Amino acid sequence: MNVLRPLVTAGGILGLWQLGVWASGVPPYMLPGPVAVATVAWQRRDLLAVHAGTTLTEIVLGFGLGSLIGMLAALLLVLSAPARRWLMPVLVISQALPVFALAPLLVLWLGYGLVSKVAMAILIIFFPVTLAFFDGLRRTETGWLELARVMDAGSLAVLWQVRVPASLPALASGLRVAAAVAPIGAVVGEWVGSSGGLGFLMLQANARMQVDVMFAALVVLAAMAVGLWWLVDRTMARLVRWQPDTYENNR
Amino acid sequence: MAALPARAADKLTVLLDWYVNPDHGPLVVAKEKGFFAAEDLEVELIAPSDPNDPPKLVAAGQADIAVSYQPQLHLQVAAGLPLVRIGTLVDTPLNTLLVLEDSPVQSIADLKGRKVGFSVAGVEDALLGAMLAKHGLGLDDVELVNVNFSLSPSLISGQVDAVIGAYRNVEMPQMALLGHPGRGFYPEEEGVPAYDELIYVAHADGQARPELSRFLHAVEAATHWILNHPEEAWDVFRSTDPALDDEANQKAWQATLTRFAHSPAALDHGRYRDFAAFLKERGLLDEVPALDGYAVDPNADQ
Repeated sequence: MNVLRPLVTAGGILGLWQLGVWASGVPPYMLPGPVAVATVAWQRRDLLAVHAGTTLTEIVLGFGLGSLIGMLAALLLVLSAPARRWLMPVLVISQALPVFALAPLLVLWLGYGLVSKVAMAILIIFFPVTLAFFDGLRRTETGWLELARVMDAGSLAVLWQVRVPASLPALASGLRVAAAVAPIGAVVGEWVGSSGGLGFLMLQANARMQVDVMFAALVVLAAMAVGLWWLVDRTMARLVRWQPDTYENNR
Repeated sequence: MAALPARAADKLTVLLDWYVNPDHGPLVVAKEKGFFAAEDLEVELIAPSDPNDPPKLVAAGQADIAVSYQPQLHLQVAAGLPLVRIGTLVDTPLNTLLVLEDSPVQSIADLKGRKVGFSVAGVEDALLGAMLAKHGLGLDDVELVNVNFSLSPSLISGQVDAVIGAYRNVEMPQMALLGHPGRGFYPEEEGVPAYDELIYVAHADGQARPELSRFLHAVEAATHWILNHPEEAWDVFRSTDPALDDEANQKAWQATLTRFAHSPAALDHGRYRDFAAFLKERGLLDEVPALDGYAVDPNADQ
């Protein structure tokens, strides 16, 4: 039943969408119905697969590297007070800059290939990870810290054996946000300069009035984002099994 | 300025294809010098955020006239957009395949294995494909890179070896001013049929509206005034917006003067038929539709 529920919700939305398209007679260049989108997605599956592969590579690399950099930045902030004072403002500023404004320059600096897309994804991913992990590391239960002190643990041991494990639930939240926004970074990069990927395909389809192809690409992109999110969610749930998910237990 | 009209002027909303630039000379001059007012028209010019939007907005009834491109019109009509061409703004191609002047690419054949940047318009691979075919190459022999708005930066920075979609009257003088002069290959000399770069399109249902004839009359009068008074026309153009008053725009203005359609309402039937046939041959159109469905001379006897 668990698997069926989201399918029923999705089916309901698709049904309403198709019904709306039929009832309103909105022309296909404004909004194609789900049947038209599914048809074109099947007909052009080879094309979609090639471009989806490019985008997936960018997303996975961007997510992996962005998360890694985010976690390292959080550890650095926790370990060093000067780093907190000197780096925190820079991190905040890096998030205040709209990626869209930077994107054309990043592409000129790093080229039109994979590197600029991964850089874009890293840029928007690492901050939520840093912030969530950093918050988790700061908010360790005082009782555990006192226990560690009583047991005469060194400060590194406190970090690795108490603070890091205790912060995993917070890190999991950061990684889930990162998984959901990683596709945005990749597609923004493709939008301003690329020779492949779903963003490239969507721009092209839009210019050619192939709105159905554009929607098909969007659906594939959404599916990839959901897949990545699900993977991260499951992995993190397994890692922090010691902290019960009280929400799920209340069913 | 013209005297106040006796009755309320008819309002027309015109969507430009791009931010205001010398290509829009006749429109700006017709507005500033009162040629629209003389036809009892009150015209509002609006620049879009995406050059692909204006035809869709006209199709959706959000504006009266859009400045668009002949090659795109063929695709839009095939996709079911209720649009007709009612006039011409620039009646030669402006699109150019551009390389840096000191580039090793001496002939289109030298592009084999190189990167070609383009600004997405939907037809660039048809144009480039035909130009390559004339030199025994195919699209597979080059790597096409979407560089979006960075046509000249991507070329100057060396990220791509050539760009298609640059305008010979805008990007070429601009690059020369930056100290990186470019060299152009012209599509209409390299296997692509000649076409109208900039056209006026309106909704198919309103193609007989008398305002449209008056609009074309006004832009025709403005075009002739520009041709007869080029220096004064530049002064009018640059005075409308301080951002337009620079050397790059002045050079572009001079390069654009000879490109304005002298007879904006006139329709070249063969040109549209041949270009539709060309797009069909390149696989972008399934059939060549009847011309009167998507291109009209609004002054012709019906």
